[in-house]
Amino acid sequence: MIEKGRISCLELALIMYATVATTAILYIPYVTAQHAKRDLWLSPIWGSLSGFLIVVIIVILSRFFPGKTLIEYCELILGRTIGKIIAFLYLFFLLHDTAIAFREYGEFVESAFLHKTPMLFVTGSIAISCAIAVHGGIQTIGRCALLFLPIVLASYVLIYIFLIPDLNVKNMLPVMADGVMPSIKGSLAPHAWLSQFSLMSFLLPFLTNQQKVMKWGMFSVMASVLTMVLINLGNLFLFGDIIINLQFPVFEAARFVSIGSFFEHIESIIIAVWVLGGFIQLSAFFYMLVLGTSQWLKLPSYKPFVLPIGFLIILFSAWTIPSFEDMIRGMGTTVPFYFLTVQLLIPILLLCVAVIRWKKPKSFLQ
Amino acid sequence: MKVVGILVVTVILVFIFLIQRRGLARSEKRVKRAFFSIMMVNWVFAVLLVIFPEMPGPGQMIDFIYKSFEPFW
Repeated sequence: MIEKGRISCLELALIMYATVATTAILYIPYVTAQHAKRDLWLSPIWGSLSGFLIVVIIVILSRFFPGKTLIEYCELILGRTIGKIIAFLYLFFLLHDTAIAFREYGEFVESAFLHKTPMLFVTGSIAISCAIAVHGGIQTIGRCALLFLPIVLASYVLIYIFLIPDLNVKNMLPVMADGVMPSIKGSLAPHAWLSQFSLMSFLLPFLTNQQKVMKWGMFSVMASVLTMVLINLGNLFLFGDIIINLQFPVFEAARFVSIGSFFEHIESIIIAVWVLGGFIQLSAFFYMLVLGTSQWLKLPSYKPFVLPIGFLIILFSAWTIPSFEDMIRGMGTTVPFYFLTVQLLIPILLLCVAVIRWKKPKSFLQ
Repeated sequence: MKVVGILVVTVILVFIFLIQRRGLARSEKRVKRAFFSIMMVNWVFAVLLVIFPEMPGPGQMIDFIYKSFEPFW
C-alpha cells in the first residue's frame, strides 16, 4: 500500500471536522445570512442532510471495496476508461477545492492581519509548512489534529463565554418570520460544505479499526453542524440584524470582547489559534490531493509529488479566483452547485453501479 | 517585470527538482515521467499566468457551466 501510517477513528473524525468546520465558521455565516437573514442558524441543520447522506454512501462504498479509496474503486466499478475519466474529474475538483481553501485562508489572514503582504507569500508559506506535514504522511496530520483541535475549539467557546453579558437572545425572534423557505435557500452553502465529507473516502483505508466508521463519521458531521449552528446563534445574539453586512462575524465578535477595559484585542490570539485549525484543514486537503493523484497514476509512492502539487495548488489559488468579492459571490451562487454535483452525484453513481453489479458487500452486515 | 516573474518561477521549480533529485534517482522510470510531466504543467501554467494575469481560469468555467442553475434557487 502507498501509505504505511494508520489513524484512529477519533483522528479521522477530527481531520474531517477540521476540513469542514474551519472555513465554514468564517465564510458561511455571511453567505447564509444573505438569504436566511435572522434564520441563518437553521440553515446548517438543513445542510446536515447532505453530510449524513454522503457519509452513509462513502461508508457503504468502503465496505464494497475495503482498503481502497474513491479514485481506486472508481476504476473497479466503472471500468478502466470511464473510471479514469470520472476519477480525473473528481481529482480536478479536489485540486480546485484545495486551491479555494488555500485562497480562503490567504484572504482571511490578509484582511485580518497582513494587509500589505502579497497573497502569494501568505498562501505559499502555509503551503510549505503543510507540505512538511503531508510528507510525514497521514499519521502526522492525525496527530496534529489530535493536538491542535482541542485548543481551536476551546478558543471558539471562550469568545462567546466572554461575550455572555452582550448576548441578546431576543435577536433571534421571530423565528421563521417568512416561513421556512429563506433558511432552506440559505442552506445551499452549508450543503456544499458538508458534502465535503465525501473526502472521507481517502482516509477510510488507513483506519486501525474499521468497525465503528459509520458512528464516528456521523459524529463528525454532527459536531460540524453543531459548531456551525452555535457559532451562527452566538453571532446572531451579538449582532442582531446587522449580521447581513459582516463578512467575518466570528472575527468581529472576538474584536468585541472587552473585560474590565484591560482584557481586549483577543482577536489576535483567536486568529493565531485559528491558523492551527487552518493548517490541519489545508494539510488534509493537500494530502488527499497528493494521494489521489499518485493513485490515479498508479505510482508506488506519493512523496516525490508533494512539492510539485503544492506549487500547482498555489498557482490555482491565484488563478481560479480573481478577487475576494468574486470568491464570496461564487460561494453564494455557482460554487455550491459545483461542489454538490461532484461530491454527491459521483458517489451516488458509483454506489448505484456497485449495487447493480455486486448486489451486497460481503462485510455489509458487520 | 515579466522576465523577472518567469525567472522566479523557473528558479522555484528548479529548486523543487533539486530537493527531490536524490529520491528520484532511486525511483522507477514511471515516477520520473510523472514527476517531470507535473513540473512541465506547473512551468507552462506559471509562465502563462505571469504573461497573462487576467487569463480566464477554471473559476470562470464553473461560473459558465452553473450559471443557469441560479434562477432556480
